[in-house]
Amino acid sequence: MPDTKPSALHGRIFDERRRGAYQGVVLPWKRTMEVCWSNIHHRMGRCVLTFVCIAVVVAFFASSLTVQILQGQLIRSADVHTQAVLERAGVFTHDEDSQQRELHQRLWLLSLSAFLCLVGITNTILMSVTERYREIGTLKCLGALDSFVVRLFLVEAIFVGVLGSLLGAGIGCCLGVLQTGAVLEFSILTVAGCTRAAGLGLLLAVALGTLLTTVAAVYPTYVAAKMKPVEAMRVEV
Amino acid sequence: MSEKREIVRTQDVRKTYIMGSEKVHALGGVSLTIDAGEYISIMGPSGSGKSTLFNMVGGLDKPTSGEVYIDEVDIAQLETHELAWLRCRKIGYIFQTFNLIPVMTALENVTLPMVFAGLDADEARDKGAELLAKVGLGERLSHRPPQMSGGQQQRVAIARALANDPAIILADEPTGNLDLRTGREIIGLLLQLKSERGVTIITATHDMKMLDVSDRVVWVTDGKVSRIQSRDQLDIKVGTIDGEET
Repeated sequence: MPDTKPSALHGRIFDERRRGAYQGVVLPWKRTMEVCWSNIHHRMGRCVLTFVCIAVVVAFFASSLTVQILQGQLIRSADVHTQAVLERAGVFTHDEDSQQRELHQRLWLLSLSAFLCLVGITNTILMSVTERYREIGTLKCLGALDSFVVRLFLVEAIFVGVLGSLLGAGIGCCLGVLQTGAVLEFSILTVAGCTRAAGLGLLLAVALGTLLTTVAAVYPTYVAAKMKPVEAMRVEV
Repeated sequence: MSEKREIVRTQDVRKTYIMGSEKVHALGGVSLTIDAGEYISIMGPSGSGKSTLFNMVGGLDKPTSGEVYIDEVDIAQLETHELAWLRCRKIGYIFQTFNLIPVMTALENVTLPMVFAGLDADEARDKGAELLAKVGLGERLSHRPPQMSGGQQQRVAIARALANDPAIILADEPTGNLDLRTGREIIGLLLQLKSERGVTIITATHDMKMLDVSDRVVWVTDGKVSRIQSRDQLDIKVGTIDGEET
């Protein structure tokens, strides 16, 4: 019975592989979520920057969108008073050209802020990746695949992105409604109309915010995934 | 003597790093055999290639030329996921800087390799608690690394290294950041593992305390193994070692 000796038990490293009973390494989704949440929870400071960055841009996008949708609704309305208010505010007096120009300006401003936000978030995540090089190296020594590291960083970024977007979109949609009311007249706005416009604005803005964070996280995540397990051995900070 | 079985073998391992326009030969042809159940220390001044050799033996780095066999398998032939599996299931790593995940509790740190190995959560929790109790931290399951002393963190790291009952434990200067007494305790713990579980222990160290307990000491100088001594040889030659080093 030589196999019962401890040295024999531990000697044959690749026996499972040779027998074909080899099982790979895994990282269940539930655990991924727990780890990401605990990272966000305990590293609040780092997340706040990403969070604020995304919230501001999404708020801007959400408010513009809500204003556009609300105006569209009002223009289509058959109410005489509404039409009169719109006329007075000059919504109809703009010719096609100036309307186009305004739209382009808005789009340009929006893309610019989205781009800045993208760069900002990428930088923030990249910093946290380089800060955590030893942690990533350790994870790899413990058997993490590149894909585990990708998943951990991406899910964490998306978590923060969705939360930041929700906050930003919430604020932005409210501001959009208030802006429309203030520029035109509050009495012409209906609760149903506002809810529909704000709801649609919220949905689109959250989608944009999430997309933006995900795209921003791609490069830092790649850097993290490519880190070598030897990094864990580095002593200097 | 038939009990002896090799677990790690390097064959004419060379490693060259390219630094700018210069080639640095970190290892210049190292052949070394490590037996299962052995406690082996790799000694050498910094810059001697000690760490490079250590990383090769532990499957963390690939040689420029030559082969590293772990359990008779050339690790250069392994695919990425097989290498990950090897690190997860068969090798336990202990670091000089402890390297616990700071946002996780002691128990979560210890169970992480078990999660990777596919153990279910309850089983992992029980086994993790058992391992922590074994290293004397049964009361500190839910403490996080910043709330623990260096010695305690290194104990958690040892428990983590044992998570999947590895065949080899690789310890990189495990006592480097610890005081004398705690260092001794950690060495005692490693020795206990060796005798109880038959684990092969490979350490890279500067610490003379570690030499005393090693079965063999591999001295690395200028990227080559300058000498391999077994413990009894070491005892006799202590005086001359100092003489030769200077």
